[in-house]
Amino acid sequence: MSLATATESSVLPQPRARHHGYGRYVLTKVLGAVGSLAFMLVLNFFLFRVIPGDPARTLGRGRFTNKEQIAEFNKTYGLDESLPQQFLTYLTNLAHGELGISLKYRAPVSELIVDRMWPTILLVGTSTVLATLIGVWLGIRGAWKRGGTFDKASTGTSLTLYSMPEWWLGLLLIAVFAVGWGPIPGIFPTGGLHSVDADPSSLSGVLDTAWHLTLPVITLTLAYLADYSLIMRSSMLDELGEDYLTTARAKGLRDIVVRNRHAVPNALLPTTTVIALSMGYIVAGAITVETVFSIPGLGLLGVDALEVPDLWLLQGVFLVASAGVILANLAANLLYGVLDPRVRT
Amino acid sequence: MSLLAAAGLTAAFLTPGLALGGAAAPATAADKTTFTLGILSEVDSFNPFLGVQSEAYEAWALNYDFLVGYSMKDISPEPELATKWSHSDDGLTWTLTIRDGVKWSDGEPLTANDVAFTLSRIIDDGGPWAVNYGTYLKGATSATATDDTHVVLKLSQPIASLPLLPIPIVPEHIWKNVNVDDLKSYAAEPENGQPVVGSGAFTLVEGTAGGSTYRFERNPNYWGPTPHIDEVVMQVYKSADPMVQALIKGEIDFAEDISPLQVKSLEGKPGITAHFGNGVYFDEIAFNTGAVDPETGQPKGDGNPALKDPKFRHALGYAMDNQLIADKVYQGAAEPGQTIIPPSYSEWRWEPPEDQAFTFDLDKAGQLLDEAGYKKGSDGLRTMPDGSPLGTLRLAARSDATSDTSINTMDYFKEWLDELGIKAEVVPYTSGRLTEVILDGNYDAFEWGWYVEADPDGVLSYFTCDARGALSDSWYCTKKYDRMYEQQHVEMDHDKRVAMVTKMQQMIFEASPYLVTVYITTGEAVRSDRFACFQPQPDPGGVWLIQYGGHNYTAMRPADEAGDCDGVTSAIGATAPSDSGGSSSTFWIITGGAVVVLAAAGGVVLVRRRATVGERE
Repeated sequence: MSLATATESSVLPQPRARHHGYGRYVLTKVLGAVGSLAFMLVLNFFLFRVIPGDPARTLGRGRFTNKEQIAEFNKTYGLDESLPQQFLTYLTNLAHGELGISLKYRAPVSELIVDRMWPTILLVGTSTVLATLIGVWLGIRGAWKRGGTFDKASTGTSLTLYSMPEWWLGLLLIAVFAVGWGPIPGIFPTGGLHSVDADPSSLSGVLDTAWHLTLPVITLTLAYLADYSLIMRSSMLDELGEDYLTTARAKGLRDIVVRNRHAVPNALLPTTTVIALSMGYIVAGAITVETVFSIPGLGLLGVDALEVPDLWLLQGVFLVASAGVILANLAANLLYGVLDPRVRT
Repeated sequence: MSLLAAAGLTAAFLTPGLALGGAAAPATAADKTTFTLGILSEVDSFNPFLGVQSEAYEAWALNYDFLVGYSMKDISPEPELATKWSHSDDGLTWTLTIRDGVKWSDGEPLTANDVAFTLSRIIDDGGPWAVNYGTYLKGATSATATDDTHVVLKLSQPIASLPLLPIPIVPEHIWKNVNVDDLKSYAAEPENGQPVVGSGAFTLVEGTAGGSTYRFERNPNYWGPTPHIDEVVMQVYKSADPMVQALIKGEIDFAEDISPLQVKSLEGKPGITAHFGNGVYFDEIAFNTGAVDPETGQPKGDGNPALKDPKFRHALGYAMDNQLIADKVYQGAAEPGQTIIPPSYSEWRWEPPEDQAFTFDLDKAGQLLDEAGYKKGSDGLRTMPDGSPLGTLRLAARSDATSDTSINTMDYFKEWLDELGIKAEVVPYTSGRLTEVILDGNYDAFEWGWYVEADPDGVLSYFTCDARGALSDSWYCTKKYDRMYEQQHVEMDHDKRVAMVTKMQQMIFEASPYLVTVYITTGEAVRSDRFACFQPQPDPGGVWLIQYGGHNYTAMRPADEAGDCDGVTSAIGATAPSDSGGSSSTFWIITGGAVVVLAAAGGVVLVRRRATVGERE
């Protein structure tokens, strides 16, 4: 998937604008994405067949005591079939929109993924959005008064947070704000997605989930912050020397208007790419933070599946994750085509 | 500025949750007594024919009843749904009397028909029905209900492990609609708000395999003693540290499977009792005693020839300081090991007499090696009896284990081998890769462990010739051992069988395909200020939860109702706590101290902030 990202986003802005139809541009990009996806589907299957390990042995260690039990397990879940046959089953299943049955949880993979996708989207999605908003704002302010106290403080803080391991930051937040530390009361839960008896569809249920997600979202937001603030800051700095800003100032515009109306829109372009791409990673989950806060997300599901290895579940999780990146990549390309007509060549 | 506004909005959305969510939780908890158990793995399936995780077994123990369960004292067979059993002289016909008047949680009567149905699915349908429980019924030909309270089990050959039948009995009126093809993904979870039907003390009302929270409510129709709690909640934590924090904070009442360091950090905390419970696991160093192709019998792999010699392997048993391994590698959360049946199964275990037991004695090990012909050459390294070099032993360790015990054990073993004049190197593998290496026979020794079932048949079977290429990982195979295995498998006289099992353990001990390093204990901690009356299994010394069967869920009580726990003196909280005053005052002193220090620190920060106010924007 990183391969796809590199080729798709390396389309450089061309010096001269040509009038090709946006329709044709869209078509090329969509076809490219479909191609990447098809490649992923095939790679996905063979990639996990290379992993060493025997699901029946891993799962049944200490539980299965004879050959018959192992054979029965393999037969039930189609693991005794030859590789080409398994590939055929995989393709047939996919054609029917099915992803097979998880070897570990013995439930349809699609159900497991749907169950796990929402917590991940809530957690990583909210954090990405927050980190984007705050990061961009920090970047703009920092660059505008470059070298000032605010710039120094925000760059220093975000870099420090960026270099902290996420799980460690998470554990610190749990120790301080969930368990309580000295005079600080532990008001947040130590983990989980919601309280046991909360009804997720009611208002109190929604608030309960938000309460549970506060610390993990803060952890991820703080960790992601530097990604956006540093890019925004440097692209703002690039714009600062441009002539059009001098012109704008010469027109007598207020400083804040020069910044928000003229500099920011131009500086936002590179940030847009980064944001769009990181949207693609939302469904891939955040393994370490999901682990620390026991959020039942896709990242954890993938890790659990890898231990077995739960082949069908792994395929499903990676399919969703790579589809997420490919689609976000496509969205970034299409958006870029709108924002900057020069790339439509 | 619109960015700021949006961020503010999101924050505003998140903040009310603090107040509301925080207030909501205790309000509901007051209505009923809920016991919350923190676990480190998901239940992999609520379908008792599919799951394999201990957590799943725990869930089934709450939801269903075994036909024949396990005693708390020594994990021996004990009446559960079956109150009595008898067998014909040839051991081929068993008659089980089923408890009268038992009802399913939905009110339907539980009869011998339900029992016969469950057993027949395993015997007749096989397939996924038989994967988990087939071994208990291997050789059974039919199970029939002769009336509402009697089941007759016919066998083609005696099964020595009977009457042990730890098979959860499922309701025929629900499960008859599940065919073999559907069974492999049949969830057996609450559907449309309807709880799972079972006969156990609790019934699953909320939760799904792989989910993070499972809620069980008391089954009003339960036949046994009425539980003292209304609800059991299992909360999955994906790492132990936050789980321990949740215990300290009181979000959960019990933390299962915590590390030695965590147990130590919890010792002396007010309201919390932590311990190590004796388990049913051992870890071992296993040798490649001679890998062969199971079909043809042709040797395969590149195992060191010295390890094919039982004398060589047995001598190495004296080069293992298992006490040191238990103390250093397992940080005290283990007992030094000797044989393949852990002390928890006192009934079956063979305890090597003092003159035979392994002790850490490198001189003795060296002497035994000398006698067997593995003498030291001029370079100080031992050679094969024919004088050829012994080479370097490859010690495979698991790199992906949850702790470093595997690699650390092998590091010690390597040093001891060095002192004996045997070169060795530690080779790390992931578990999956190691399985393949073992099956290919391309190793000399590896470190791993086993969970040992209550009936010794399972662990004994790993050393039979027939298990090679399947679950045997030492490739051990002798005709004599196989013959004894077959004999004990059908021996109906319990005492005679115990004698055979003892002899087999001794054979394995002497031939040493395995050197058992330790018996692992399980770290557990409970909010003893809230709940009491957990009886250890085995008693004494065993674990408090994740036992065989769900005994402690009916036995546990809120701490203020503990009394003498019905006379179970080994249960925690059974005696009046007398020494809690001392530790709790220590707690307040420490907390008070911490508050003072923090307040001072806070003051310093405030002062500094004031001082720098001019510089800040």
